[in-house]
Amino acid sequence: MSTQTQSPSITLDYVKTIGIVNNGLNGRGFANPYDTAVDGDGRIYVLNRCDPARASAIRVGICTIDEEYLGEFGRGNGAGDGQFVWVVAMALAGDGRLFITDEYNHRVTIYNTSGAYLSHWGVPGSGDGELNGPAGIAIDSSGNVIVVDQHNARIQKFSADGKLIAIWGSFGSGEGQFNLPWGVAVDQHDNVYVCDWRNDRIQKFTNDGEFLAVFGESGHGEGQFQRPTSVAIDPEGFIYVADWGNERVQVLGPDGSFQLLLRGQATASKWAEDYFASNPEEKAERDVANLHPDLPAHLNTPYHISSQTEPFFWGPVSVSLDHQGRLYVAETNRHRFQVYQKR
Amino acid sequence: MISNDTALMAHLLRRAGFGASRDELERYLEMGYDGAVEALLNPSDPGNMPDDLIRRYHVEQSELRDLAGSAAYWMYRMISTSSPMEEKIALFYHSLFATGYAKLNQARCLLNQVDMFRRSGLESFEDLLLELSKDPAMILWLDNNENHGTAVNENYGRELLELFSMGIGNYTEDDVKECARAFTGWTLGNAEYMSIRAAKDSIWPYGRIAWHFEYRDEDHDDGEKTFLGETGRFNGEEIIAIIVKQESTARFLATRLFQFFAADEVTKAGEQVINEMMATYFSSGYQVRGMLRTLFHSDHFKSEDARFTRVKAPAEMVVGAIRMAGKYQNPVLGIEKVSNTMLYMGQGLLQPPSVEGWHEGLEWINSGALVERVNFAAKELSDVKSPGVRSIINRLESSSEGGVLDPADLADGCLDLLGPIQVSDETRSVLVNYAARNGDLDLNGHQPGDEAEQRVGNMLRLVAATKEYQLA
Repeated sequence: MSTQTQSPSITLDYVKTIGIVNNGLNGRGFANPYDTAVDGDGRIYVLNRCDPARASAIRVGICTIDEEYLGEFGRGNGAGDGQFVWVVAMALAGDGRLFITDEYNHRVTIYNTSGAYLSHWGVPGSGDGELNGPAGIAIDSSGNVIVVDQHNARIQKFSADGKLIAIWGSFGSGEGQFNLPWGVAVDQHDNVYVCDWRNDRIQKFTNDGEFLAVFGESGHGEGQFQRPTSVAIDPEGFIYVADWGNERVQVLGPDGSFQLLLRGQATASKWAEDYFASNPEEKAERDVANLHPDLPAHLNTPYHISSQTEPFFWGPVSVSLDHQGRLYVAETNRHRFQVYQKR
Repeated sequence: MISNDTALMAHLLRRAGFGASRDELERYLEMGYDGAVEALLNPSDPGNMPDDLIRRYHVEQSELRDLAGSAAYWMYRMISTSSPMEEKIALFYHSLFATGYAKLNQARCLLNQVDMFRRSGLESFEDLLLELSKDPAMILWLDNNENHGTAVNENYGRELLELFSMGIGNYTEDDVKECARAFTGWTLGNAEYMSIRAAKDSIWPYGRIAWHFEYRDEDHDDGEKTFLGETGRFNGEEIIAIIVKQESTARFLATRLFQFFAADEVTKAGEQVINEMMATYFSSGYQVRGMLRTLFHSDHFKSEDARFTRVKAPAEMVVGAIRMAGKYQNPVLGIEKVSNTMLYMGQGLLQPPSVEGWHEGLEWINSGALVERVNFAAKELSDVKSPGVRSIINRLESSSEGGVLDPADLADGCLDLLGPIQVSDETRSVLVNYAARNGDLDLNGHQPGDEAEQRVGNMLRLVAATKEYQLA
């Protein structure tokens, strides 16, 4: 299997997979990860959405690129201080504050990277500064916090201490309009990119919300999207999109031109290897199994193919970048993330 | 006065669907009875809650690793579909070809099986049995992955004849053996790895891996076989072709369809309808749709004698009440608790008690289950803030004189709009007397949740507690 994916202007090498299903309430492994963030020391924070059976342990897990599990934090399920119900996304500020959106509690909860709860913002509603299903979140170079206000079909920009600075957007499919938007990111110039989820496109704005461009349309082809959930922009302006409904990641050039796509090529993580070391009979059968099967026609959809093809992305909900050119793709349904390195 | 057309259409929609709100009932009435039968039997876009929305908010229904989320996923479909017959036929086969989670530990594949029932359940029974024999969940459920050319496992071959087509007494033990031989090599991809994962309930390292059919020619017994009097080097397809030609298969299928869609007990008049359905089975090339068309157009089905002669299955009870209340139209936290309610009533979706499926009819009712049923329906239908109950309140107001209903109007109006439901004179008296405790009901200027509306909610709660509401 190729470990390299490239276009004339960008090359990505597959590095590794980190993760394993965590069926319990804490410890090594993940439970339906929804987002990742990486700090300057290389610590990787993984936001675990958790299914209802494990909701009492909604948490942020921490590990390293070398697959050392460092621990987790969170205060469980609910509406109390530091608690969560439906977490969606994270953004790490330069001062070490970790902002986490909760689309059920309609608020942004803030922890520090040591796991201490600091505060939360937001009240439910549609007025200025109020939130209805906050989803994606990003922080610009000034420390301003940009929140996708999903059910209000708008973007709200707050100062680092939570004062409202700007609002833009409305429901619809025109320029500057949104239909259940999800992910958001800023580039080197503080332009804002929004995953306009149910319009199957990425919209680009200035930092103040002036419409600049739109990328993509509905479809399964190159440069087309099905429900994009997350976006990230590297220092050269390449745009990485979690093309969730197509179960893939696409990379666009700074002008929005299609560059390459990743379907996923997961391998066994260290933690997975540990599991198989303890379960040799399962490993023996796995070693002779075909993890890239051909499927009958009625299962020929990205979702079904991913459900049967373990190396492929399944539920690739988030793309994140670190300062070393690494791309992290979190997969909700596979409880892991795949790491790629840009050359 | 309830017109017979309305009562008949409501009867059809209780059997071919989950009952109907008055808005839905009126849409079908515009089609006329024949048009409604055709609309139900030829499902178009079900317009159900889209998968992308479900997956976005319910990670457990995106991954479908566990039973609770998977059952809830099907619940959403039943609640939100505008093609209810698709779901009813899927429920029918889910009990007839009962396949359960406990042995498989693979809910995605059970839901794929349900999809197959939707896709093929109204088509040719021959094609359906062929798809069933290739269904990976069924293959593992009845051990056909252990059915090898050199070591036959008869489990699937036996149940195919006994429980899925002809019925016991219509074949010999030799036929079972020969049938099983014909299905050697019919297995699932990566059968050895998947069976060990199923046996261990392994979700490691990265969650479940779904299944697909695989035919292994090298594992198939290609020798000559004699089955039901015919001889040849039969494979599974030829065996099914022979099975579907049998009169016993026609009778088996017609009887089971009749009991699910018409009446728990088969009377003499019912026997006549079953014979007509068998005739359609053969004349139509084994088409299930045609058999149901015959049933729904039969005088027996359309007669008043056929109404309220089936105990609602828990799925019909729960989904019917929710659809009537108009709730759960968008993804919401806690939907899995609703599907769990069905389990407490004796019907856990995706977990039939055995390969024989559920024992239906009066066996649905025991004291514990009855309390669950009444409590659930009463709670849903008395929620005056739900869209469906609000619609009932508005209809009661607009059909009354000056917005005022006397006790009989209130009782009769609620019985009408929840069905119409036919109750005994004694039951009706209880309802009217209950309403009379507070005199006439004035709905003028009613506001969401106020006392006047709550009186309607209380009456709906009481109707939900009647014996007649438990029947379809």
